[in-house]
Amino acid sequence: MQQQAQKTKQISLKGSTAIVTDFFKFATNTILYQRGVYPADDFHLVKKYGQTVMLTEDAALVNYLDKILKQVNEWLLKGNVTQLVLVLLSKDTRTPLERWVFDVDLVRSADDKVLPDEAKPEAEIQKEIRHIIKQIVASVTFLPLVYEPMVFNILVYTKDSAEIPEKEWLDTDPMAIEAGMSQQVKLRSFSTDYHRIGAMVDYRYEG
Amino acid sequence: MSSTTRKNVSKVPKTPTRGRKDQRQPLTPSLSNALSQLQLSNNDGHRSTSPSMQTTLGGNDADASINPFLETSVPLGQSLKTTAIFGTSSRAPGSRPGSRPGSRAGSRPGSRTGSRPGSPNKRSKSVSGAKNTVNLYGMETKLDVIDLSEWPSNKKEKDASSKDPTPRKRAKSQTSARPRSTADEYGDRYFMERNPHANVLSMTPPQSGSQGSSPAHMSRLASAANVDPNGRILTFHQPPPASTADPMLAAQRTHVAPLYANERAGTSASGSGTSGSSTNAAKARRLPTQPERVLDAPGILDDYYLNLLSWSSRNELAVGLEDNTYVWKASTGAASHLAECPEGKWVTALDWSADGSFLAIGLSNGDVELWDPEAEKKLRTMSGHQAQVGSLSWNNHILSSGCQDGSIWHHDVRVARHHQGTLLGHVAEVCGLKWRADGLLLASGGNDNVVNIWDGRTGDADGEQRTAKWTKRNHTAAVKALAWCPWQDSLLATGGGTGDATVHFWNTNTGARTASLTTPAQVTSIQFTPLAKEFMTTHGYPTNSVMVHSYPSLTKIGEIKDAHDSRVLYSSISPQGDVVVTGAGDENVKFWKLWEVPPKKPKHAAKGSTSHVLTLR
Repeated sequence: MQQQAQKTKQISLKGSTAIVTDFFKFATNTILYQRGVYPADDFHLVKKYGQTVMLTEDAALVNYLDKILKQVNEWLLKGNVTQLVLVLLSKDTRTPLERWVFDVDLVRSADDKVLPDEAKPEAEIQKEIRHIIKQIVASVTFLPLVYEPMVFNILVYTKDSAEIPEKEWLDTDPMAIEAGMSQQVKLRSFSTDYHRIGAMVDYRYEG
Repeated sequence: MSSTTRKNVSKVPKTPTRGRKDQRQPLTPSLSNALSQLQLSNNDGHRSTSPSMQTTLGGNDADASINPFLETSVPLGQSLKTTAIFGTSSRAPGSRPGSRPGSRAGSRPGSRTGSRPGSPNKRSKSVSGAKNTVNLYGMETKLDVIDLSEWPSNKKEKDASSKDPTPRKRAKSQTSARPRSTADEYGDRYFMERNPHANVLSMTPPQSGSQGSSPAHMSRLASAANVDPNGRILTFHQPPPASTADPMLAAQRTHVAPLYANERAGTSASGSGTSGSSTNAAKARRLPTQPERVLDAPGILDDYYLNLLSWSSRNELAVGLEDNTYVWKASTGAASHLAECPEGKWVTALDWSADGSFLAIGLSNGDVELWDPEAEKKLRTMSGHQAQVGSLSWNNHILSSGCQDGSIWHHDVRVARHHQGTLLGHVAEVCGLKWRADGLLLASGGNDNVVNIWDGRTGDADGEQRTAKWTKRNHTAAVKALAWCPWQDSLLATGGGTGDATVHFWNTNTGARTASLTTPAQVTSIQFTPLAKEFMTTHGYPTNSVMVHSYPSLTKIGEIKDAHDSRVLYSSISPQGDVVVTGAGDENVKFWKLWEVPPKKPKHAAKGSTSHVLTLR
């Protein structure tokens, strides 16, 4: 009976991937809203993770993010993603201003039959995610004010073995911020039974 | 203590004297800077080999030599350790304690060396063993070299050495491994009371794993920075969509942005300033759960597209019940039958003129009748519309009527040829129509989900095709609810029907949408009260409620759920602004006292004056 109850709580790799993808979606939206990449008008409030989160209504953006996240989801399932980076660039000069880095660690592979002693409860995961989202929201307090218009770009760090759809995904440079000008702040992390997601923001600071 | 310590102690007198001498020397700014930086370091102030320990300060050009030096000129086995430690220490402040110590270190050791003066020089000296090997700017000082060998991370080693001081260690003490005990005993040269452990806290200890910049180190760096040399960095082939796809809208936005910000700040300031008490008190206000009065309204039509309630400035309420129009005098409570329309037609819209002396009645066949309630007779019939007139609004002598065919007509009620103009901006029934009190703007809402705001001044010339000043297509359902704000001229509130259930607020000067409020149900009407910075909305299925919200915070002050048994369709506000009347298909007309009329000010003044007089006596 005990075993049964535990098993029902277990999430599969698929479920874990869904949680991670979902998190990326909301984290991305939150960042785009908080950092003013898109006008605040375009966002509406939704309840998620036990709090309200801004989600874009811009159909083009929704479509764009969906396309990316769908592919990321596929890669996640195969354990090919090592890092996801949301880069905010200056629209005019294309210099990277902020990099929101999400490390993805596969803690346990799908065919690992050994179940962990205790499955992580969903509420716990949600709590951790909520903390990250809150930290993202709170990060506007220390991030430098950006007055120029920004655009964003999503970089996916994959393993060499990853299957990459031809012509849809291109190799790119990491759009790193020069070492001397960057400040990094580590945010919280969250983990499921399969994944461990670390978050960090790296921003240009010339002060 | 061990003999080593004792030996060191015996040398102490030398050191302070020299230190004092240094301090007497005139310091150039750069020197004093360097001094303050020196103080940061864990300088124990103890020199066992004073003559050879000299350094020059402010040697920026020495920075460049760091890395080459590290790699090339470490031939002496004995000094290897020193250089390694210095290599580490020069990097230490650049890396953070918690996050990826090595990620940037590799590329920046040169950038911060200014804050750690002299280390290259010292290194060169300790390697060559010569005195004054580097003398920059001709400014040689006799300051002590920072000795970073006392780093806490090396403590274990140090402790070991102090406990078991082998002769070899003692011989090397001038370079790196000096016993810690001396440091503890004599503290900082410049901060005599400084606790060395306090230093430890304030400084970042060097990472023991990152010594030198060997290939192995670089690979460790790479792994620390999470850069997989075998991985790929990918990006989607399309660039993300521009923040504003529509260039027109973007231009409008940027154009409007500053005004928008100011206006917002202004309203919130004025809101809190003038009606601070009312809005604050309003937060916890309870709305009446029961209507103040209920009138029976048999036969009132349950049709969203009609406007069958109107409350005049003379405190008379007109209600359209199918083909009859009744007037109820709020002052006396007497109801009278005013008008009956011809067979087979019914009343679709009602509106009192501003002074309350005329009542316009729109009919289902497109006629608009004008009645004098006092004489209880019809003054004229203005026909011309081809379909039902669902909305009416007065602006002085101009009566505007919104028709089912989407047209809005201006009727001049004074002249025989009443049709003065047509506004074509809707492709479906016009169900909401409101003139602003000053008659400059007319807002119209249609079943085509469009809100149009017309300039009321432009031309009386008939036949001229007029276009709306603003056309807003944000609603996703028919717009019946329209209200102009009595305390802020430019503010218009519009509410959408079932599929939308949203109230949008517009600044009609700039065309900007200033706020939006999502409600649980179809918005059938909006009324602003002049008594508070609040407005009420009436709603259809499922809540059938009357809600009161504050503006501009848009917080819900209260809700009367199921105010009627069916959807609340019509509403009108009393001339005083305290009572709202609502009508619905449940054949009731209900009066709700949502706000209080504040006690009149003259009374207060009188009271004040009398009390003043009394106190004088």
